[in-house]
Amino acid sequence: MNESVLFLTTFFLYIISTFFYFAFILAKKDNLARIGFKFALAGLFTHTMALFLRTFESGHAPFTNMYESLSFLAWGSILAYILIERKYNSRNAGPYFMLIVIALMALASSPLMPKEAMPLIPALQSYWLWLHVSVTLIGEAFFAVAFIISIMYLVADTRERQGKIEKLGLSSDKLDFISYKCIAVGFPLFTLGGLIFGMIWAYKAWGRYWSWDPKETWSLITWFVFAIYLHTRIVMGWKGRRSAFIAIIGFLAALFTYFGVNYLLAGLHSYT
Amino acid sequence: MKSVIRSFSSVKLAIVLLIIITIASVLGTFIPQQRSPAEYVSRYGQMANILIKLEFTTLYRSHWFISLLILFGINIIVCTLTRLSQKVKRTFSPQLKKKEKEILVLKTKEKIRKKCDPTKIKDVLKKEFSSKHYHLREEEKENRTYILARKKILGLFGADIVHFGILIILSGGIVSGLGGFRKNLSFSEGEISAFPKANFKLRLDKFETEYYPNGSVRDWKSTLTIIENEKPKITKIIEVNKPLSYKGFVFYQSSCGWDWKNSILEILVKKRSDPAFSKEIRTKLGEKVSLEEENIQISVLHFIPDFVVNEKNEIFSRSLQPNNPAIFLEGWHENEKIFSGWIFARFPDFSRIHSEKETDLHFELKDFKANQFSVIQAAKDPGVNIIWLGSVIVIIGLFLAFYWPTREIRMILEESNGETEIIAGGIAAKNPEALQSDFKEVMSSIRRTN
Repeated sequence: MNESVLFLTTFFLYIISTFFYFAFILAKKDNLARIGFKFALAGLFTHTMALFLRTFESGHAPFTNMYESLSFLAWGSILAYILIERKYNSRNAGPYFMLIVIALMALASSPLMPKEAMPLIPALQSYWLWLHVSVTLIGEAFFAVAFIISIMYLVADTRERQGKIEKLGLSSDKLDFISYKCIAVGFPLFTLGGLIFGMIWAYKAWGRYWSWDPKETWSLITWFVFAIYLHTRIVMGWKGRRSAFIAIIGFLAALFTYFGVNYLLAGLHSYT
Repeated sequence: MKSVIRSFSSVKLAIVLLIIITIASVLGTFIPQQRSPAEYVSRYGQMANILIKLEFTTLYRSHWFISLLILFGINIIVCTLTRLSQKVKRTFSPQLKKKEKEILVLKTKEKIRKKCDPTKIKDVLKKEFSSKHYHLREEEKENRTYILARKKILGLFGADIVHFGILIILSGGIVSGLGGFRKNLSFSEGEISAFPKANFKLRLDKFETEYYPNGSVRDWKSTLTIIENEKPKITKIIEVNKPLSYKGFVFYQSSCGWDWKNSILEILVKKRSDPAFSKEIRTKLGEKVSLEEENIQISVLHFIPDFVVNEKNEIFSRSLQPNNPAIFLEGWHENEKIFSGWIFARFPDFSRIHSEKETDLHFELKDFKANQFSVIQAAKDPGVNIIWLGSVIVIIGLFLAFYWPTREIRMILEESNGETEIIAGGIAAKNPEALQSDFKEVMSSIRRTN
């Protein structure tokens, strides 16, 4: 077994899982969602093995280029989603969420992403690579779940206003609450991994904890957006549509931090 | 004064400030920062002056951005303090006596009657709550017993602790900005360097670059010695990610460079008419070498390690790495310039020699050697420990706020006609499911009593 075979197997399992989740939505049979969940779980298992193997083969953390970090983000997202589904029974989010994961996997396996494990440039040779990137990406995975759930909220809310009641699935109130929960879990992780571990590592490698480098600034912007989300919600009592919009903007900011900055804005963090 | 405090205690102001700071930060990532005025003019034309005047080109250290941060800091202080006194009171001397109404508006609530003595119910509650790690308070007044059971009360202060940590981080930033010092030092092996604000010197004993098998850089290692009062104190090998600290200064391996100005160049001279002719000369920048048999003197005026030409036909070096080394060569016959032009090490056939006179000579840049020097960043940042302290506080606060959510259950027990009426309600804004299950269990334990 080598890493790329495992990666493809994982991809395949995720696609089957997505298929079952969609079948569940269409046929409205709970059993199908359960099968989808099992395939996602199996995918998570092979994906974990693929990441281990990658680490073992390259000798460094499995998120040093775009291919690796996309794959790791997909892994973190599946993990976050599985935890959320187990806790809140949020099966309806499954198909849409799996689509995001498939998109990440497809992007990772696109020929544009160099796949060879390259030797690490000097600045990346540190155990802070592990701490900084993994904790940040797992935090962002929770933001991704919140993003999907927020979009679903907007759809469900519009339908409920039109007087349609979903037979199967979650009420808009529940969706609103799950989205908040995801952010409540993701926000401390993102703060710790993205901002604080980032500052510590920047201080060790570049001699300054904060340089307003585009990636740093965009992490801070993402953090601000979620801070606005939390304050409007907890202190000012915002809920529903407005909160959902902020959660969506927050995830888009996180996405831009992750992708856009690398390709559009040059800076210290320009690793592709 | 009061109205000022009131406006600063508003969360709305905090949100507005956050939005403005966010938008400003976004702008700063799209307008390149701290470039030369000429670059801004070529990029933005007439707008450049306005951008520079409004400090958009040094946005993050501009007066208005820092003022925004300070306003935000004051806002955080006032907001946190005005809410803190209430919270402290709520925590340490909570009001136990509540009206029935106040409990029954809560989302999780119940009102039941039970045919038994209130003391018995109290005993059951005590046992049940302590097994769930709730902290219990009770008060009796006018035939009623008021009960307050709470768990993870510290979570209530999570947000305030985060705010306190952010203020410490902001003040650390101010200290760094005012007292920080940073300088890049370039050393060749054996060189000693002094730098401002320190009473010791630094010597580079040895410098090496390690490569991966594919030729890319694995690491730079500099052996540094601190010299104080003319005596060596410490010797340490530093690498990227492994700096040396001494007396508040930290020395980082930043990068490396080549001393191209003193490079030794090897030039191969050939003749078009005579393929057998080949001569090697070694020279340095600015040195004149005679090719006696031709009665020509040549000299190299420029060496560019990474040759590029921009749209305006200006020649410059993209980096200090020898990616595309080129030399500018001139040939003189007595006082007459015969030829001049660029010669590329990587493209020997593609020389751009402009001959003022016919020449039979052809030149190739065979080799170039320069001493490598190490670039070491010396930094003193008095704010850094304050930043770490603030970071620890922020993280403790965040984990308390989100992973240690407070749960609160209130009850009123009232005896009438041998029955006890129980009014109960609970709240846990950040973890309602856990509270609900606790609440259900407590209530069913009451039902089970007889």
